[in-house]
Amino acid sequence: MPSLSSFSLFAEAGLPMAAPVLFKLWFIPVTNSMVLGLMVTLLLIFFAQLATRDIQRVPAGLQNLWEWVIESLGGLLESILGRELMRKTFWYFATVFIFILACNILSLFPGVGTVGWGHNDEHGHFEMVKPLFRGANADVNMTMAMALSFFLMWLIWSIQSNGIGGFLHHIFGSKAALPGVLGVLMIFIFFAVGVLEVISIAVRPVALTFRLYGNIYGGEAMVHAIEHIAGNFAFIALVPVYLFELMVALVQALVFCLLTAVFTGMMCKHEEGHGNTGGHH
Amino acid sequence: MIQTLLLLAQAEAPSAEQVDIMTTLGVTKSGLFAQIFVFLLLGWLLKKYAFGPIQDILEKRRIEIAESLSNAEKIKKELSEAESIRKELIKKAQDQASLMISEAQKRAAEQGEKKLQEAVAEAESVIRKGRESIALDRVKMLAELRQEVIALVVDTTAKVTGKVLSIEDQKRLKEEAVKQLAA
Repeated sequence: MPSLSSFSLFAEAGLPMAAPVLFKLWFIPVTNSMVLGLMVTLLLIFFAQLATRDIQRVPAGLQNLWEWVIESLGGLLESILGRELMRKTFWYFATVFIFILACNILSLFPGVGTVGWGHNDEHGHFEMVKPLFRGANADVNMTMAMALSFFLMWLIWSIQSNGIGGFLHHIFGSKAALPGVLGVLMIFIFFAVGVLEVISIAVRPVALTFRLYGNIYGGEAMVHAIEHIAGNFAFIALVPVYLFELMVALVQALVFCLLTAVFTGMMCKHEEGHGNTGGHH
Repeated sequence: MIQTLLLLAQAEAPSAEQVDIMTTLGVTKSGLFAQIFVFLLLGWLLKKYAFGPIQDILEKRRIEIAESLSNAEKIKKELSEAESIRKELIKKAQDQASLMISEAQKRAAEQGEKKLQEAVAEAESVIRKGRESIALDRVKMLAELRQEVIALVVDTTAKVTGKVLSIEDQKRLKEEAVKQLAA
């Protein structure tokens, strides 16, 4: 069984597992993935401003595209969360989806991972040490930031939706209204199930973090490896890989968005028109 | 056995460097919090400036479409009602027109009959008056003829006899002529 360090060394032969720090801004280490993430953030804000600066009743151009994206996402999320919960939480899931997708696609652009600082090795080949850009989701900091912010928002929405009592009852409370000894037994059983549920909830951010990171990092590592192996034919060999990565970019954005939406729906969704009382139905 | 397991465990036991997976992956508290901050800031900015306005306009449009559909349904219903009223009015107008036509035809027939009867009566009256006038004229002519004949008889008799007839002769001749004419 290979140890973590050997895996790390193997991986670092192509693409380092950790994003290199370019400089420090006060006490914050700015990595190359953060640079790409910030670029995507600014691009998204710029695009959104451009699309919404002069909103017309009959949409055209960018507003049309933006409306299509929001309407499609809204429809998808509404089928999972219901109308009210979707309207409340839309900003988070839409941001997650659009941000992950934009980061993933931008990380496939030429220059990402190939422009930066490096030095020539003993054979005279240039070795990239600190690329200026790196896929934002090929950095655990970014994927973990999104997973943890989801966990935070999920906690807030769950408590807002159920109340603290309802939230605890939802996890630990007995959902079987049985009389007598059987009812008491059920309380213990559901409590034990609740403990498992807490473990499941605690694992979710970890799973979300490493699923996205693993897929994007793996994709980038594969691109690097094929580029290295194919040599002068890399531009041909990489075409199918890039197409595959485009699909992965979309699928991973969808997976993260839909999983977080499903987790939220499981805790916060109530039957439409039943108000906010009671736990999960 | 236990010693073997311990040896295996020692062989596989990761060093402090190996254990620190977070360092290997480059996870730092400051970097992580910075990313969380940037991500939530992006979410907030997009919510305020990108999703919010579009969601508002989509919601407004949804309401407008729902209202328009409702209005269209209402207009359709009103149109259907107006159509049925129109048909009813046309039917009433047609009925009234038919009634008026039939009444007019009836009146015209009555009027024609009346005029015909009046004409017949007038014609009968004209014929009757004509007959009466003819009868009167005949009587008058006969009377005049009688006078003429009497005068001729008296004149002829006077000329034939060659004498002047007396009053009694003339009276007797007139009476005889009247008797003969009446016969």
